[in-house]
Amino acid sequence: MTESVTANGFALDTSGQRVVVDPICRIEGHLRIEVNLDTENVIRNAVSTGTMWRGLEIILKGRDPRDAWAFTERICGVCTGVHALTSVRAVEDALGIEIPTNANHIRNLMMLAQYTQDHLVHFYHLHALDWVDVVSALSADPKATSALQQSISTWHKSSPGYFRDVQARIKRFVESGQLGPFSNAYWGSPAYKLPPEANLMAVTHYLEALDFQREIVKIHTVFGGRNPHPNWVVGGMPCSFSLNETGGINMEWLNLVSSIIDRSIEFIDKVYIPDLTAIASFYPEWTTYGGGLSSTNLLSYGDFPRVANDWSQENMYMPGGAIINGDLSTVHEVDTRDPEQVQEFVAHSWYKYPDENKGLHPWDGVTDPNFELGPNTKGTKTNIQEIDEGAKYSFVKAPRWRGHAMEVGPLARYVIAYARGNEEIKAQVDGLLGALGLPLTALFSTLGRTAARGLECSWAAHKMRVVFDDMMANLKAGDTATSNMDLWEPSSWPKDTKGVGRVEAPRGALGHWVHIKDSKIENYQAIVPTTWNASPRDPAGNIGAYEAALLGTPMVNAEQPLEILRTIHSFDPCLACATHVIAPDGQELATVKVR
Amino acid sequence: MNSNVASGLREAGGKRAEYVFEAPVRLWHWVHTFSFLTLAVTGYLIAHPLPSPIGEPSSHFLMGNIRMVHFISAYVFAVGFAVRIYWAFVGNKHSREIFMLPLWRGRWWRGLLHEVKYYLFLTPREDKRLGHNPLAQTAMFFFNTVMTFFMIITGFALYGQGLGLGSWADRMFGWIIPMLGDGEGTRNWHQLGMWVMLMFVIVHIYMAVRADMVGKRSSVSVIIGGWRMFRDDDS
Amino acid sequence: MGIQKTFYEAMREHGVTRRSFLKFCSLTAAGLGLGPEFAGTIAHALETKPRTPVIWLHGLECTCCSESFIRSGHPLTSDVVLSMISLDYDDTLMAAAGHQAEEILEQTIEKYDGNFILACEGNPPLNEDGMYCFQGGKPYVEKLRRMASHCKAIIAWGSCASWGCVQAAHPNPTRAMPIHKVITDKPIIKVPGCPPIAEVMTGVITYMLTFDRFPELDRQGRPKMFYSQRNHDKCYRRAHFDAGQFVERFDDEGARKGYCLYKMGCKGPTTYNACSTIEWNEGLSWPVKSGHGCLGCSEDNFWDRGSFYSPETNLTVGGGIESTADKVGGILAGAAAIGVAAHAAASVISKVKNSDKGGASHD
Repeated sequence: MTESVTANGFALDTSGQRVVVDPICRIEGHLRIEVNLDTENVIRNAVSTGTMWRGLEIILKGRDPRDAWAFTERICGVCTGVHALTSVRAVEDALGIEIPTNANHIRNLMMLAQYTQDHLVHFYHLHALDWVDVVSALSADPKATSALQQSISTWHKSSPGYFRDVQARIKRFVESGQLGPFSNAYWGSPAYKLPPEANLMAVTHYLEALDFQREIVKIHTVFGGRNPHPNWVVGGMPCSFSLNETGGINMEWLNLVSSIIDRSIEFIDKVYIPDLTAIASFYPEWTTYGGGLSSTNLLSYGDFPRVANDWSQENMYMPGGAIINGDLSTVHEVDTRDPEQVQEFVAHSWYKYPDENKGLHPWDGVTDPNFELGPNTKGTKTNIQEIDEGAKYSFVKAPRWRGHAMEVGPLARYVIAYARGNEEIKAQVDGLLGALGLPLTALFSTLGRTAARGLECSWAAHKMRVVFDDMMANLKAGDTATSNMDLWEPSSWPKDTKGVGRVEAPRGALGHWVHIKDSKIENYQAIVPTTWNASPRDPAGNIGAYEAALLGTPMVNAEQPLEILRTIHSFDPCLACATHVIAPDGQELATVKVR
Repeated sequence: MNSNVASGLREAGGKRAEYVFEAPVRLWHWVHTFSFLTLAVTGYLIAHPLPSPIGEPSSHFLMGNIRMVHFISAYVFAVGFAVRIYWAFVGNKHSREIFMLPLWRGRWWRGLLHEVKYYLFLTPREDKRLGHNPLAQTAMFFFNTVMTFFMIITGFALYGQGLGLGSWADRMFGWIIPMLGDGEGTRNWHQLGMWVMLMFVIVHIYMAVRADMVGKRSSVSVIIGGWRMFRDDDS
Repeated sequence: MGIQKTFYEAMREHGVTRRSFLKFCSLTAAGLGLGPEFAGTIAHALETKPRTPVIWLHGLECTCCSESFIRSGHPLTSDVVLSMISLDYDDTLMAAAGHQAEEILEQTIEKYDGNFILACEGNPPLNEDGMYCFQGGKPYVEKLRRMASHCKAIIAWGSCASWGCVQAAHPNPTRAMPIHKVITDKPIIKVPGCPPIAEVMTGVITYMLTFDRFPELDRQGRPKMFYSQRNHDKCYRRAHFDAGQFVERFDDEGARKGYCLYKMGCKGPTTYNACSTIEWNEGLSWPVKSGHGCLGCSEDNFWDRGSFYSPETNLTVGGGIESTADKVGGILAGAAAIGVAAHAAASVISKVKNSDKGGASHD
């Protein structure tokens, strides 16, 4: 069988040349992509393989639920804190704990800071080199670069002398013969379209962003003590406000947070967004490639509650829902507790289910790792040349919403909020599309995904200001409480209870499902954004978001996987998240062979 | 029959008495006891601190004092033990009993069996010994001598964490910390060691008092005056 | 390698004057806790050495070490990467991917055999023939062993590489191993922490570049300059510990006054790290300063010591026995007391019996 049509309507053809990219670099964790090209070098089949597994949920079993945030936070250090927040929310949901207003504000602030920093780092340090040719920057004219910079933004670092210095620095670096992280890349490829001046500007901002991102996360340091991996606590936040004592968060730290918010807004609006617009304008064809599931099936849980402890979508700064079959007129409500809605399948994942044709809701899941390669694998168990996607082929499970493969992430959030008629989001999207002269459908593409992330970065930076001001107003009104310790002691907990924590992480919809019994974790499950996006096929043959997005993309040079990197990077993959995985019942790891 | 009878016999009113524990041994016994009890109490309070005193920290040193008492007692405990080891070399033969189990002697093993049976009420007669009987000696060896070593090593290793890397305590005892996993592990085992010794204390006191009340020889007074009395002499 | 620039040349070319260069050297000396007399040594070292190649591998991890690394304020990460080391391979940052990325490893072995530094983030799993983490179709542990056999020295970043960390917590389903249990024939410097402090990471690198040797290590392979004291030793809340003033629950009066977090489970008293001295994110704060106890993330086994919120921790690591010393000890002492009481009662009964029989009592 070389040609087929998937259940979700994508034509696959496995007859052509097979190209393997492993590792995919500039992502978090370890990912392998294999594609088949037709004679025109167009991608006709795509296979996404998560190549690591850590078993964190197995490790969580039997532990104190109040500790779970620290374990799950270590699922990912790039989107640090998001799993911790999801975990404390899940435990609070299970135990019926309501958090104080200030804790809600602080958590929102920390998540928004995370969006701002994470999106910025993703764009410049993990994604930009797919579009920006570092070597080409050497031939730029610093004066013209300065003119370009000043034409698109009022950012103050824009003099010809400044760009000349940076260019000289890059030049000496390249001439040293030690290219460091830029070694062996695809410089000079015709797939790079930017003029030298735009390249120099972008490389300059690569360095500026690297220096600036560490400022943003100081918001985590103030409230959580450090970054990466700030501290959280079930029932609120561990920090205290000490406005008239010495010991906790005082006016000096609050001023620092306020100043970081202002500087973040400035950097994002004056550097990131203009760069994004400029780069996008040189790659118009990428508004037609890489759409995948984005034009049909999108999922977001919604996040950033204005008022603490109210989980209705009306209360969310970023409202969520589900869109299926491309029908933007209907946004479906998502219930993470409904066993019929969110389910995970393992027919093509390296795990075992009693019945692999059925999906399981996370509260009822089963985990049994089962690393076995299909009969058409080329190579050996420990030296895989080509993987057999007809069998099990990834450590990522296949989550589905009502049976649909879904895309999650900034683009999904933006389309859903747009479809819900959210004014802020609509204004942003229409503004950008208008400036580039593109229709709404241009969003459903590799570049659309990258653009939505940029817009969201700006949205998050501005939203920090709103949340901060709300928090200050609450403090002014005399409420300084940061945590609710009424149900801190395990003796006050129900004997057997379940909870769900939901967060919209920078990369998309994130859920943790916890079952607490006798004050211990009986079962813990997480379905993370990259599990949705990097999903392998399910028993019905639906392909996941990465696989769908790669189809139909022409490659300039099959030896240089730039196009694959562009589309995969547009999702901002996080594989340590996706493959932490999944441990419900007691029968752990019966099949693991110990050498 | 009793071959242990050697020196310093005296007769008093039909009862035999014998000089067993020399003065330094007796002194050490009480120094050891009271330093241990102080260490146990202060150690427990370090693990489970008292409620916070009110006011500026500069006007209190509660935890600091508890720890200081702990450390001073620890020095007494350790130095006392060192002196006791010295005395094992120069003292009478009973002074060596707690350091060495004569595993090579068949008679010692038979005595051990006999004692076990006696305490399980399987045999009515108690062997009459001057020093420790084989069972007591074994318990003493493992639960007092070895545990004392263990507590001194782990205690000073933890103390060395405060003194700093390269301090005498760290150099002499710091090696135990990686062996027990980490600092937290060492603390835990040190804490458990206290409980094990406390358990020994309970049994030890019971045995001594019981021996005085129902046995044929004095047990409590021997560690005060050094003389062991035998109530009847029919052996 | 004639075209390779020394650090000094690179800085000169970036427009740095000799005067500022020497100033940088004396600041570096101060930053490393060395006297001003070392500024000359540093200057000499940086003037004469080509940038050292660094191969940065990622096993099972969460990338928090890399994220921490790029937070370094002095030196700036951009300066480290562009001017101090040659970060030739780092899958999180590098432009190349797939074959082109993996080729760099072989090129490095060819060009710099025995002369590059291997920086390991994360650890290799050994179960399932190592396939719980594979790259380029092969087990990560193979790649690690291959690169280790040709490197000069290894830096084990973070608690994953140093101890095992979260994926090695009980029951360690993938059998994830710290680097020193897999590579035994190379010098390894451990920089534990989950993650380590950014400036500790760049401090270790600059020390090695400057002095061309490892910093002094403690018994367990950690650099003494950052890991020779416990967080507790230099904690700014230490006065409250000594005074016996403790936070009893989050956001109580003690918390607002900055009392000691020991009763909230703070592991500062047993945790060797530089948090209380260097602090995080350019000296802004650290967990205790922001109100949460230290998790002990730079210590071995910190995941398996029981609740993070109890001053009493588990006696043993994993194994299903979750018990604190006091629980076990209480049971022991209780059992002893009960045993004694029972034995005493039995003794009395035995005595009575013997008298009843009228037998010759020897008691």
